[in-house]
Amino acid sequence: METLEYNNVQETLYREVLDNGLEVIVLPKPGFQKTYATFATKYGSVDNRFAVEGEEPSKVPDGIAHFLEHKMFEEPTGDIFATFASQGASANAFTSFDRTVYLFSATEQITANLETLINFVQNPYFTDENVNKEKGIIEQEINMYKDNPDWQVYFGLIDAMYHNHPIHIDIAGTVESIYQIDKETLYRCYENFYHPSNMLLFVVGGVDAAEVFELVRANQASKNFKPQGEIHRYFEDEPASVKIPRKVTKLPVSLPKVMFGFKEKRVGLPPAELLEQEVLSKLMLDALFGASSSLYQDLYEENLISDSFGSEFNSSDNYAFSVIGGDSPDPEALLGKVRAAVEEAVKTGISEEAFERSKRKKIGSYLRMLNSPEAIASEFTRYRFRDSDMFDLLPLYENSTLEQVNARLREHFDFGQVAVSIVEKAGE
Amino acid sequence: MTLFERGQLGRIRLHVLPTKRFKTFAISLFAGVPLSEDTVTETALAPFVLRRGTASTPETKAFRERLDDLYGAGFGFDVYKRGDSQIVQFRMDVINDKFVASSSPLLDASLKLLGEVVTDPCTEDGAFRAKYVEAEKQTLTKRLESIVNDKIRYAAERCLEEMCEDEPYRLHPLGKLEDIAAITADSLYRRYEQWLEEAVFDLYVVGDTTLDEVTALVQQYFRPKAGVPGVYAVTNVRQERGDVKTVVEEMDVSQGKLNLGLRTGILYGDDDYAASLMYNGILGGYPHSKLFLNVREKESLAYYASSRLDGHKGLCTIQSGIEIQNYDRAVVIIKEQLESMKRGELTELEISQTKAMISNHLRELQDSAYEMIAYDFNAVLSGKDRSAQQLLDQIQSVGPEDIVRVANRVQLDTIYYLRDRKEA
Repeated sequence: METLEYNNVQETLYREVLDNGLEVIVLPKPGFQKTYATFATKYGSVDNRFAVEGEEPSKVPDGIAHFLEHKMFEEPTGDIFATFASQGASANAFTSFDRTVYLFSATEQITANLETLINFVQNPYFTDENVNKEKGIIEQEINMYKDNPDWQVYFGLIDAMYHNHPIHIDIAGTVESIYQIDKETLYRCYENFYHPSNMLLFVVGGVDAAEVFELVRANQASKNFKPQGEIHRYFEDEPASVKIPRKVTKLPVSLPKVMFGFKEKRVGLPPAELLEQEVLSKLMLDALFGASSSLYQDLYEENLISDSFGSEFNSSDNYAFSVIGGDSPDPEALLGKVRAAVEEAVKTGISEEAFERSKRKKIGSYLRMLNSPEAIASEFTRYRFRDSDMFDLLPLYENSTLEQVNARLREHFDFGQVAVSIVEKAGE
Repeated sequence: MTLFERGQLGRIRLHVLPTKRFKTFAISLFAGVPLSEDTVTETALAPFVLRRGTASTPETKAFRERLDDLYGAGFGFDVYKRGDSQIVQFRMDVINDKFVASSSPLLDASLKLLGEVVTDPCTEDGAFRAKYVEAEKQTLTKRLESIVNDKIRYAAERCLEEMCEDEPYRLHPLGKLEDIAAITADSLYRRYEQWLEEAVFDLYVVGDTTLDEVTALVQQYFRPKAGVPGVYAVTNVRQERGDVKTVVEEMDVSQGKLNLGLRTGILYGDDDYAASLMYNGILGGYPHSKLFLNVREKESLAYYASSRLDGHKGLCTIQSGIEIQNYDRAVVIIKEQLESMKRGELTELEISQTKAMISNHLRELQDSAYEMIAYDFNAVLSGKDRSAQQLLDQIQSVGPEDIVRVANRVQLDTIYYLRDRKEA
C-alpha cells in the first residue's frame, strides 16, 4: 500500500494495485459519516470496436455499454438494489463516453456493502428473458432524452462535429440498436472490459484504509481471473473538419437553445499535455465567456443570452472540443457578436486582470469540489483512466501564465472548425 | 451529531455551526413571506434585481468581479415555496482562507457582500436602477416561459397547479407572467422595502467560525432592523376533494408524463410524519419500492416511476414517464399499489429496507453543509424542533400499523397526463 500525501489540499490517499491488476484507491475523510465507493471500468459508449490481444476486432451494437450497466444489477438471487437497500446503502450506476461506474453510498455496514459492490459487478447474469425485458425500459429512457432539449442541443453539437468517431453516437444507443443486443454479445463485452486490470475501485469517506485494503485483497484472492492481454480499441480515422456546420432539431421550447463549439485539430496528446491543454482551455473560456467578462455582460444587456449561458471544454486522447452557448432569442445575432469578440481577443489577447481573476476562480472552485466525496471519486477516476492525476490540476492552475493562455486562445479559435447546434420550435 | 448555535440580531435569527470538516464556509440566508397572489411576482423578481449590484458596487461587471476575487465564491439564489410560504434563499460558498493566500478574510468579505446585496442595493432616485429592473423582468419572463422545456418538471408543476387550484399553493414560486409588465423600478422598490420589514429572516453559517464572530459581522454588514425574528404561519391543510380530478394536456412529446397528486394531510410537525416518510419510501422513494418494482421492473412500462413526499404541504406526488398508449395500464398498476398499501400488504423486508434507506439518508446529511442547513431549516418552517437523530429514532419505531394508518389517510386527488397531440 502506497501513501500519497497532498499537503496543499490536506488530503492523503492510499493506493495499491492487486495481483490481478485491480487498482484500489482509498481516501479517508475523518469526521465524515458516509462512505462513498465507486467501482469503474474503463469502458464507455465509444468503445464499440475492440479486440483483446490475439483476437479479431469486432463491432458491437450502439448503446451496449449502457445496456450492460443496466443488466449488471440483476443477479440469480434477484435485484441487487434490494440487497443494497437491506444494508442501508443507496446504489446507482452511470455510463459515459469512456467509462461505466457502479457506486453506493452508506453510513453503516460498509464491509457488507463493499463486498456487494465488488461481487455484483464481478458476477454477470444475463438470460434471454432478462435481456429482452430490459429493452422496454431502455426504450423509455431513450424516449425521455428525446424530449429533453438540453440533451438534444448538446448531442446535436457533437453529432455535427464528428463524422466517424463514436462520440457522436448517443450513449444509450437508439431504439433500433438496442433491439439487436443479445446475451451473447453482452457476455463478450463483459469478458473484455470487466477484467480487474481494466478497473478501478475508489473508496472515500469515514473509513480506515488498511481495513478496506484487507477486505478487497481477500475478496479478489478468492476469485480466479485469467490474465488478460491488452485491450485494443479501434477508431475509424476522423477528419479534422466538422461534419456539418449547423444542425437544427425541432422541439417545443420557449426560446431557441444554441450551442456551438470548436473541434480541436490537434488530438492524440500525451497525458501531461492533455491535462495542461484542459487547464489552459478552461481558463481561456472563463476569461472570455464567464459572468464577469465584458462579453457576457454585453450579451446579457442586449438580451441575447440568459443565466443559462456558459462554456466547457471536453477532451480525451482522441477527441477534444469546446462547447459554448445557452438559450437565446436570436442565435444568429449571438453567434455574430461572439465571433467579433473572439476575433478581437485573438488579436489583443486576454488582459492580465481577467486572467488572474479566472485563475483565482478556478482554484476556488477546485477546492470547493474537494468537499464532495462524490465529485472526488468521479473526477479522480476520470483522470486516472487517462493516465493523469486529478491532484495535478491545482499546481497546473497555480502555475499557468497569461502567455500560455493567450497562445492557447490563438490555437483553439479557428472559425473553420466551428459547428452549431440549435433546438427550436417547429415553424421557426 | 453537531449542533447549531443560535442567536438573534433584531429581526434576523442566526444559526451557526462551527466545524472544521469542510474546506469552505457555507452561508444561507432564508427570507420567507406568505405565498400570495398579490405579491408573489414582485417578491420573486426582487432577488434578480438585487444580484445586479449594490450601492458600493453598482455595476454588474464589477459586482461579479468582486465574487471572482473571493476565489470564485459560489453565489446564487433560489425562490421556492414551502407550505404556504414563498421563500427566497441566498447562498454563498467560499473557501476557507487557510487553503489560499488571501489578503482579506474571506468570511468577512462574503458576509459584507451578502449584507450589501440584501440591505443596501444599487438605487437611483429612491428606487431600483430602472435598467436593471427592465432587464430582470425579461429574465424572469424567460424563466417562467422556459418551464415548459423540461417536460418532467413541467408535468410535476402542472399537476400541483391543477390539484391546488383554489389554494395559494397553485402559484408558481417565480410568480405570474401577466404581472410582470406592470412592475416598475418604483413599485418593485416599495415591495422590497415592505419585504425587508415583513419577511422572516434566518441566516445560517457552517464552517470554521463561531457564533460570536458571525454575530459581529452581521451587526456590521446587515443593518439588522429593530424587533424580533418572525415566525412562519401554520400550513392550511385542505379537505379532500371527493372525486378524482383528471386533466389531460397535449403537446409535441415522444413520451407521456403521468403525474398523480395525493393528499396525506400529514405535516412535518405531526406525530405521524415519520410514518408518512415510511409510507412514501415503501410506495415509491427507492429502487426497491412498489412503484419501481411493479411499473418498471415487472411491466417494463417506464424508465422512472417514483413518489415524493412534501411534509410542508401534506402532499405526496407520483411521477412516471410512459409509452403514450400505456396510460390506462399504468394508472391501474399505480392505483393497485395505493390500494395494496391500504390493505396492509407490506413485507418485513420492504419495511426494514425502507428504514435502512431513510436512516442512511438522515445520517448522510451530516456530511454536507447545505444538507444540514436544509434539514435544520425544516424546524424553523414548521415550528417543530426535531433533530435528525430524533427523527431516526422515530423511523425505527414505526410499525406496519402506523404505515397502514397513513395509507388510509392518503387520498388520490388529481391525475395529470401530458401526452402527444392526437391526430385530428
